[in-house]
Amino acid sequence: MKPLIITIIALGLFQTVKGQTINWKTIDSSKHIVTAGFAWDYSLSYSAGYGYKLNTKLPIVLSLNFTKASGENLLDDFKTKIGGQIVLLNQPTFKGIITLNGIYRRFENDLVRLQNIGSEVKGTFGYYKPKWLVACEVGFDKAILTHFKHSDTYKKDIYQNVKDGWYEPATGGNFSYGLQTGYSFKKSDITLNFGKVITQDFKTTPLIPFYLRLGYNNKFR
Amino acid sequence: MALKSFTALGLILTLLVSCEKKNEINDPDSLVPKTVVEDPGLPSIEANGAKLHAQAFGPQDSTLVICIHGGPGDNYQYLLNTISLANEGYRMVYYDQVGAGLSERKPKSYYTSFGANGINNIFYDELKAVIAHYKTHPDQKVILLTQSWGSILATGYAGKYPAEIDGLILAEPGGFKWDDVITYVKASRSFNLWSELLNDATFFDQFITGKENEHAILDYKALLLSSRNDIVGDFGSILGTNKQHYPNVRDGAVISAAAYEIADKYKPDFSEGIEKFKKKILFLYSENNKAYPDSWAQKIASTLPNKQIVKINGVGHSGMFDQLNTWNNITQPLLINYLNSLR
Repeated sequence: MKPLIITIIALGLFQTVKGQTINWKTIDSSKHIVTAGFAWDYSLSYSAGYGYKLNTKLPIVLSLNFTKASGENLLDDFKTKIGGQIVLLNQPTFKGIITLNGIYRRFENDLVRLQNIGSEVKGTFGYYKPKWLVACEVGFDKAILTHFKHSDTYKKDIYQNVKDGWYEPATGGNFSYGLQTGYSFKKSDITLNFGKVITQDFKTTPLIPFYLRLGYNNKFR
Repeated sequence: MALKSFTALGLILTLLVSCEKKNEINDPDSLVPKTVVEDPGLPSIEANGAKLHAQAFGPQDSTLVICIHGGPGDNYQYLLNTISLANEGYRMVYYDQVGAGLSERKPKSYYTSFGANGINNIFYDELKAVIAHYKTHPDQKVILLTQSWGSILATGYAGKYPAEIDGLILAEPGGFKWDDVITYVKASRSFNLWSELLNDATFFDQFITGKENEHAILDYKALLLSSRNDIVGDFGSILGTNKQHYPNVRDGAVISAAAYEIADKYKPDFSEGIEKFKKKILFLYSENNKAYPDSWAQKIASTLPNKQIVKINGVGHSGMFDQLNTWNNITQPLLINYLNSLR
């Protein structure tokens, strides 16, 4: 399994999940995790996801997550993530987790439609108790390949020789760092992630230089 | 098993994408048009240590009307309807400010190195050089036709050199004192949190990031960001059926960021000295700019000594110039009356 994970990282197709925060102290008897979230994650957005816990020595959860940006147009801007989390440091209360996700995301406005294949990697280290958790997290989100398709408006009114198609090298990359905390009861977790975002040159920031996510998990066998 | 499937999917996607010819994100003309440095065929002048994209129309020796665009970081394309004033005998001059439009780009440190003299050294000295370039004789009159940031710049210039300017047309300057500018900018960008407009402005930050001086990438992002703003009543590139065809538009992200940084640090008062300017000023504002109500227009214009205030109905922030019907039927006749009054 290890070489497979390394292959995935080498392909650069998997990235960190800002989405799914799990209380690893309370997951032991569960196999399935359903998540929902509301966040400021580049824009105001809603997310839903599913996680499946593998029966392995080191705890691993495979996950699928869908995030939709708010706005009047239903599915013009969204992000899907597929990947997993592995607990590499698995002490009774202290845990270290690596999260890897592949991303497909889409953006459209009056001028252009962007489709991106990206990756996200995140490291989390924290203190986990049956009723609560607190952890710090550091992540990197890389927009590896982006397809640009400009509208007729762009070509007519702005720049007629614009080139559509795939663009390289990587068109973007943002680091994020922050804290996550959560409260657990019965089969549920309520989680909160918050922190800052900075672009990969460490000199500039996105228009909204922070993230904030309120999440809910329901775990079952 | 699941991980094997993910890997296979990743490999297939990679192979599919690899088959297509790819564009370079850093190419100077993939996403935005070339500047005058990259395309020597574009009309240009040398002014204040930079190569500026510039054009002039009309009789060379007649009254100069220098058109000053907004931003900082915008371009003069949206002011080009005013070319028709050349038919009235005026020498119409258009220039993209340094770092903006199709003019030469400089690194951000070039602008910020001027410190407290930044506004003076970058914008006033540049305007002085542009006027000097097009002036053919000492008695030639000079009128500034301006919009938004261009109106702020022109007011500062007229306050500094009141004897050199013979007329001033201002259209919706956000403010002259820095606090007023900030108040206006915030009001004009107070998007609804749930709106498509806000998410269009912020969501693509995860797709494209540019380093501090990667001009083509940053200019492209700035263009997407400014493409539409319903608050100020502008529709950016979607100007309606009555817009002329302007095929090469580019914003200047670095000069915009640098100018804001300088102004925010030194908090200039662009109305300083304007009381010494004795000629009549034409002050225009629009009906559809929600961030520029009557009360704001009265407040901002109150610092100007001798002015005529006119509200242009049916358009937004730049519509008095970039909407051809409004230009032909409302703004142009108004400007011709004003220009005649200066003779």
